[in-house]
Amino acid sequence: MRNLWKYVNVYKKAMAVALLLMIVELIVELVQPVIMSKIIDDGITAGDMETIYIYGGWLMILTVIAFIAGISSSFYASHVSQGVGYDLRKSMFYRIQMFSAMKMENDVTQIQGLLFGLMRIMLRAPLFIIFGIIMSFTINVPLATILLTTLPILFVIMFFLMIRGMKLFQSVQEKIDHVNQIIRENLLAIKLVKAFHRITFENKRFSKVNDSLKDQNKKALWIMEIVMPIVMLIMNFAMIALLWFGSVQLEMNNAQAGEVVAIINYATKMLASFGVFSFLLMSVTRGRASAKRVNEVLLEDIDDTVKESEQRNKIAGAIEFNQVSFQYPNMDQEILHQINVTVKPGEKIGILGETGSGKTTLLHLIPYLYHATSGTIYIDGKRVDDWGNKVRHDITLVPQEGFLFSGTIKENIAWGNEHLSDNEIENVAKEAQLDAFIQTLPNKYDTLIGQRGVNLSGGQKQRLSIARALADNPSILLLDDSTSALDATTEKHVLEAIRRRKCTTLIVSQKISSVIDADQIIVLEEGKIKGTGTHDKLVKSLPLYQKMWQSQRKEGVLIDE
Amino acid sequence: MSSPKGKEKISQPRSPHHPPIGKKPKIKNLKGTVSRIWSYMETDRWLFRLVILFVIVSSLLSLLGPYFIGLAVDVMTGAADSFGFGQILLILAVVFVLQSVTLALQNYWMIDIAQHTVFLMRKELFGHVLNLPVLYFQKSKSGDLMSRLTNDIENVSRTLNTAVIQLTTSILTLVGTLVVMFWLSPLLTWMTITIVPIMFFGMKWITKRTGKYFKEQQKELGEMNGFLEETISGHSMVKLFHQEHRVLDQYEKHNKQLRDAGYWAQVYSGFIPKLMNSLNNFSFAIIVGIGGWIVLSTNATAISIGVIVTFTTYARQFTRPLNDLANQFNIILSAVAGAERVFDILDVQKEEAKNDKKQLENLYGDVVFEDVSFAYNKDEKVLDKISFHAAPGQTVALVGPTGAGKTTIISLLTRFYEEQSGNIYVDGNNMKQIANQSIREHLGIVLQDAYLFDTTIRENIRYGKLDATDEEVENAAQMANAHSFIEQLPDKYDTLLEGNGHGISQGQRQLISIARAMLRNPSILILDEATSSIDTITEIKITDALNRLMEGKTSFIIAHRLNTIEEADLILVLKEGKIIERGNHHSLLQQKGFYANLVETQTAREA
Repeated sequence: MRNLWKYVNVYKKAMAVALLLMIVELIVELVQPVIMSKIIDDGITAGDMETIYIYGGWLMILTVIAFIAGISSSFYASHVSQGVGYDLRKSMFYRIQMFSAMKMENDVTQIQGLLFGLMRIMLRAPLFIIFGIIMSFTINVPLATILLTTLPILFVIMFFLMIRGMKLFQSVQEKIDHVNQIIRENLLAIKLVKAFHRITFENKRFSKVNDSLKDQNKKALWIMEIVMPIVMLIMNFAMIALLWFGSVQLEMNNAQAGEVVAIINYATKMLASFGVFSFLLMSVTRGRASAKRVNEVLLEDIDDTVKESEQRNKIAGAIEFNQVSFQYPNMDQEILHQINVTVKPGEKIGILGETGSGKTTLLHLIPYLYHATSGTIYIDGKRVDDWGNKVRHDITLVPQEGFLFSGTIKENIAWGNEHLSDNEIENVAKEAQLDAFIQTLPNKYDTLIGQRGVNLSGGQKQRLSIARALADNPSILLLDDSTSALDATTEKHVLEAIRRRKCTTLIVSQKISSVIDADQIIVLEEGKIKGTGTHDKLVKSLPLYQKMWQSQRKEGVLIDE
Repeated sequence: MSSPKGKEKISQPRSPHHPPIGKKPKIKNLKGTVSRIWSYMETDRWLFRLVILFVIVSSLLSLLGPYFIGLAVDVMTGAADSFGFGQILLILAVVFVLQSVTLALQNYWMIDIAQHTVFLMRKELFGHVLNLPVLYFQKSKSGDLMSRLTNDIENVSRTLNTAVIQLTTSILTLVGTLVVMFWLSPLLTWMTITIVPIMFFGMKWITKRTGKYFKEQQKELGEMNGFLEETISGHSMVKLFHQEHRVLDQYEKHNKQLRDAGYWAQVYSGFIPKLMNSLNNFSFAIIVGIGGWIVLSTNATAISIGVIVTFTTYARQFTRPLNDLANQFNIILSAVAGAERVFDILDVQKEEAKNDKKQLENLYGDVVFEDVSFAYNKDEKVLDKISFHAAPGQTVALVGPTGAGKTTIISLLTRFYEEQSGNIYVDGNNMKQIANQSIREHLGIVLQDAYLFDTTIRENIRYGKLDATDEEVENAAQMANAHSFIEQLPDKYDTLLEGNGHGISQGQRQLISIARAMLRNPSILILDEATSSIDTITEIKITDALNRLMEGKTSFIIAHRLNTIEEADLILVLKEGKIIERGNHHSLLQQKGFYANLVETQTAREA
């Protein structure tokens, strides 16, 4: 929580003003019963009209003051909560990799609501109760004592109910998550559920969690709803005690009617203040969970961001792996084990291997997306760690699933390079074998794609990703099975175009045919290099490669979709 | 940190806070929807009536309290003597106890009713959704369906819990307080309700602005969420193309716009309680000031100090419902709108409404298609007069370009769709006359995108046969070539799979789903081959497992690979919904048609 407090602290001045204005409002409300008692005792009972005019006038003036204070506090409170929300979002955005967007948005909103409510409603209730008691003591000590003795009882009861309630609400949230998870699963797997005829089974499974959600919900809500009747009962009995004791005091001439009335008025208003506690319970429970999640994100390390380019020379594209190993933080097994590879500028390298053999990880190490656990990677003879994120300027990776941003085709291709001319865009599209398709679209290069536009097929997406990568004019191009959805002819043309580029190219693939003419083919198995060499060499020397080659030749992928 | 593979993105657009007042939910049939909710309360109806009775009682009691306190003050000051002081205190004690008890009980029962009602709605809805035709899921967006199943129902639940009682209490208190106030002192009452027009215009002024800004805020939120979702799913692209700065700038812009819209929305909505508070203060001043003046100038016939005390409490009780009513009403309306969306789903016809169809005890797997046609909409035929015969144990391969109708044929067999003309027979029975469930019991299916549930590997395999022993499960895994990789996992068969099998490879997922079908031991087998993202070694394992699985079963395969096709008893080459060629591998090669051409290009590529 202390971490979050830092964000609130920035706005401490506005927050202080908001709180001050709230206290002004509070004081007005606290003074009212006192004035009321004056009107009754000095005015009505004494028969003095003048007093009623004066105090009546004061009441009006105070009302206006409270109104102005209340309205102004709204501006300051809003400034604080929106400002904190803005700052939180901003610094969380640096760390969003680990986080889902929707959740983050929801959490920030919860915190904002909690802050706004804190400044305006929640603090008000306890403050009113405390000051109300103090004011009562200035009016009539014995009567105020009655009021004071009821408070500890109330607080103890409220405290226990709130603790219990918070726990229950947390478990209700868990149950809701569970119910939703089963629903989501069934929607996703509906075909499976139907084909295996598991409707009764799923219904039973759902019924179980649905039932326990119902029970838990009942308990939690019941706690919430029982608070008010209990508080009311205690406060109301305090009221009866006040009346009885008041009348005794009145008879003994120790108190005046107005005083009794004023203290009863305080009691009534305090009762109303307790009403916000159940509201408080809900917001604090939700806000706390959100704050915890937000905090986790804020504590994440930031990936150092790239400084906008100083003068730099293009890299040549030599890559060297020296005893490189890699392991994910929470896994026992190494993904890559002591890899040694040397790639000269402009070479074309093929990487083959089973799923899980470490191909993709190997590619991701080069642009410093992952950091090697041990060993060193050199780009142009300089360690990748020394390059840092700068190394990415001349390295481009094309993932298997082409990624689209909503926007036009042109914008998508030029995404890495804003100064690209239309002519250049068209050229790279031609290289990626995408131009012919684009020409068939109604708005050609200005056609909208992505969420709000035309849907592209897997192969078109892949070609677009390749065009985007080529537009970046990289010195090192990494293709992560990025031609898997292309038919043989198109793939051949695309690979030829890439070859003409003369950049260092690493191609991860399932198909030997995609890398058959590579200068070097690396065969990986379980994170280790099984063999390196040209196709002809490997076919002769490596049994694993032979097996792959034979089975691929025999089966052949007949129709690619 | 690999690129996000899971394509299923079900967004849960939770609206975290209702704008207090503003947008009105759209409702088509208020009465119908409410009476439909009412129908779920069938067993709870008498309890519900009791709740309403208790609400009335507690509302009346809340009027009596302040009145007797005022009376007590008058007796104390000697202004009245109709009751003894002790008597009044006794009455008060009884009133207060009753009030708390009725309040507690009405809440307790209402929670019970509400949760039971929502439980029943959830149960029916879930069961109904599972029985909806598959076409329905393809037509509707999964995010929307999800939101109806979760958020809308939650909304109904929350509203039923409290809003019904609150609304009734508000109305009763408002009317009751007004009546008692007029009875006590018409003059003071008129003075008190002068605040109503001020409140009315004040609220109108505020809501006009909050409505606008809340709408704006909602819009900005939506845009920001869209932007975030895109950036997150493409975050490795952002890094690779070193576009961090541009993305940050864009985000900064969205964030600022959101802050500005949010600022004004919050400022104006913050005015509402302040206005109410001030009006309370104002009425307090009027009652005390003017009340005092009346007592003195009219010889105190109508008004006493006690009446003033009573009025100060009543004025509070009277303004609060005025403020809450609009809000409570809106909450109820939005819940009704949510319920309506839920009922819309319930009104969609189940795939098999009647239960009078034939059940099949055994199935040998003789399948005949006779002039079968199918279309999603009238102009586009997806299948056009398909006819073929598969004898028990035979393998039928479906070959052809995307959109040729291969998947549709399979969907007809699984009864996900129903043919519009023509007939499909299994073992000589027309499929239309057999219960879907009965056909599916004899069916095994391995889909291209194998779905795995968020449970252990063991339970995932057991899904094929719910009463299978652990031994049977492991045998099936062995047959499916899945055993060896499962044994290598730290928790073996008890490894928990999460997020549709995230963490194991696609090939391994496929192996598990084959084991699942293996355990089921069906008469008819349906396979949608997946190849593009599976490596050769795993593919060999899969092929091997599939061959074992297909033994002795009538199998339908959407085929991608030559060797599966070569061994098929019947190859159907489909194009644009028609069978253009049929035969086995050799006879088709001799035809020198579409198929022969395909094989030729394929072999050419290998050379």
